Amino acid sequence: MATGTLYTYPENFRAYKALIAAQYSGAQVKVAENFVFGETNKSAEFLKKFPSGKVPAFETADGKYLSESNAIAFYVANEQLRGGKCPLAQAEVLQWLSYADNEIVPASCAWVFPLLGIMPQQKNSTAKQDTTVILSLLNSKLLNSTYLVGERITLADIVVFSSLLHLYQYVLEPSVRAEFGNVNRWFVTILNQPQVKAVVKNYTLCETALVFDPKKYAEFIGKSGGAAEKKQQSKQKEEKKPKEEKRKEEKPKEELDAADEALLLEPKSKDPFDAMPKGTFNFDDFKRSYSNEDESVSIPYFWQKFDPENYSIWFGEYKYNDELTKIFMSCNLITGMFQRLDKMRKQAFASVCLFGEDNNSTISGIWVWRGQDLAFTLSPDWQIDYDCYAWKKLDASSEETKKLVQQYFSWTGTDKDGRKFNQGKIFK
Amino acid sequence: MCEVDTITKIANSLGVPPGEVKLNSEKIITRTNNSKTVSGFATILNTLAQESESEIARNSTASREISADVYQWIEFAVLYAAPGSKDKHVSQQLLRDFNKLFSTKSYLVGYFITLADLAIFYSIYNLVKSLSPVDKENYLNLSRWFDHLQQRPEIRQGGNVLNFTTIYLHGWATGTHI
Repeated sequence: MATGTLYTYPENFRAYKALIAAQYSGAQVKVAENFVFGETNKSAEFLKKFPSGKVPAFETADGKYLSESNAIAFYVANEQLRGGKCPLAQAEVLQWLSYADNEIVPASCAWVFPLLGIMPQQKNSTAKQDTTVILSLLNSKLLNSTYLVGERITLADIVVFSSLLHLYQYVLEPSVRAEFGNVNRWFVTILNQPQVKAVVKNYTLCETALVFDPKKYAEFIGKSGGAAEKKQQSKQKEEKKPKEEKRKEEKPKEELDAADEALLLEPKSKDPFDAMPKGTFNFDDFKRSYSNEDESVSIPYFWQKFDPENYSIWFGEYKYNDELTKIFMSCNLITGMFQRLDKMRKQAFASVCLFGEDNNSTISGIWVWRGQDLAFTLSPDWQIDYDCYAWKKLDASSEETKKLVQQYFSWTGTDKDGRKFNQGKIFK
Repeated sequence: MCEVDTITKIANSLGVPPGEVKLNSEKIITRTNNSKTVSGFATILNTLAQESESEIARNSTASREISADVYQWIEFAVLYAAPGSKDKHVSQQLLRDFNKLFSTKSYLVGYFITLADLAIFYSIYNLVKSLSPVDKENYLNLSRWFDHLQQRPEIRQGGNVLNFTTIYLHGWATGTHI
């Protein structure tokens, strides 16, 4: 009988597969204690055993290694769960395992993760329709069958059930799931098997579906973005400590394993600002005013429309002004940064000015963007230039800020050392 | 299926010797095993469950609530389902009720197979057997439950598998509409 140690974070639906299978087979599966997601599975020792660094991962009592949740569940299962002696039934079990991984998990993650705040909301997402197709298929299958394969519970039931857990927990509220009566019946039957109950604890079916809360995602991004920033700046141990503590506080549910992270990569190319409230300020209107009208009109317009709740104003000053030489090179530095920030354009506006002359110049600018935090951490694409600048958030209500905005938007005045305005670049 | 047959079948399903099962002089069913005689349908099933170590017997006595529920269904089977299944009108009502019940449940009691399922299964066996394919089409949830039970060898006990092919056709047909 299989014995070994399972590495996972708590309440991981993928790990449930193996844990439930073990309940049926009697396999001795111990969950590794002291597992810290993002640390244990990134350690050299772990990567030596499991090169993917993904969890769940399984180490057998005699020192063999398995990764991938279905494989682990298969290993710790018994003959009955694997489909019995008949090759066709075994193949059917495999069929459902693949179906769960290829169809159910992507649809479920695309629907539920944005609501949990661990993935940005996608426009035109087909997750709901995909889920409906999946549930309809299961519903007609389960009208005629008590279980997915044969007349006993198999890995097929365990794996499909585990893959549906998030959907039934967070979004399939009673009115939505009503039309899938056979799936509901089957799901509740599996959920209440003593072997399943021993693993899936404190689980309740969804009463009201979660709704998208942009703040949650902004917080999540703030956390992970902040961590990434720290890592970049310094790898000193002092800095790592608070991070560790922070990790423990985080809900394990919201932690992603590497596979989920991979799933997340695609939607990330979408606009990261989507996670933040839109507010009342319309960049397009302001930009139009700024382009077409004199500053004496557009700057008052800016203050009239500006929404300090959801937007923020920043002062960015180039850190290495003493390295600047030719004016045209400095200008290229600014425009180059603008180009690399292309995807930010829609939700940001900036006027960056060059003061002084060749070999004696400074770069600084006023930036406005959606959200209250430094926007560059929202996307890895935006992090090339920003740490060459010192960033200061400005208080939108102060007179000083009004003066600065006036000066930078109208390309007048001097830098703080009195160098004259030379050139300005507008990011819009 | 008469009470004697039902008791014998259930005893076999549970892996317990049926002993001598018969109607006594007062037409009450009795079972004699190891010179102990027990009478009454529900009482006999209770004794069988206690003697048995099978999964079904274990499930049926998992908790007091479950035991009580199971007992209730056994009474229902012997007092209402078995006689009712022979009546033209009552049997239709029985089928409708069971079909509705099985639209939300996989088994009669709890979430696993118990003696309640066996008692009802055998009490309506002949009724289900008499249904035409079109009739079965009207009771798809009941058919699913019935088919699930009859596929287990210890329940079928070498008998013929009733044909539920039409529901498979139904499955294919809906499948093509997805």
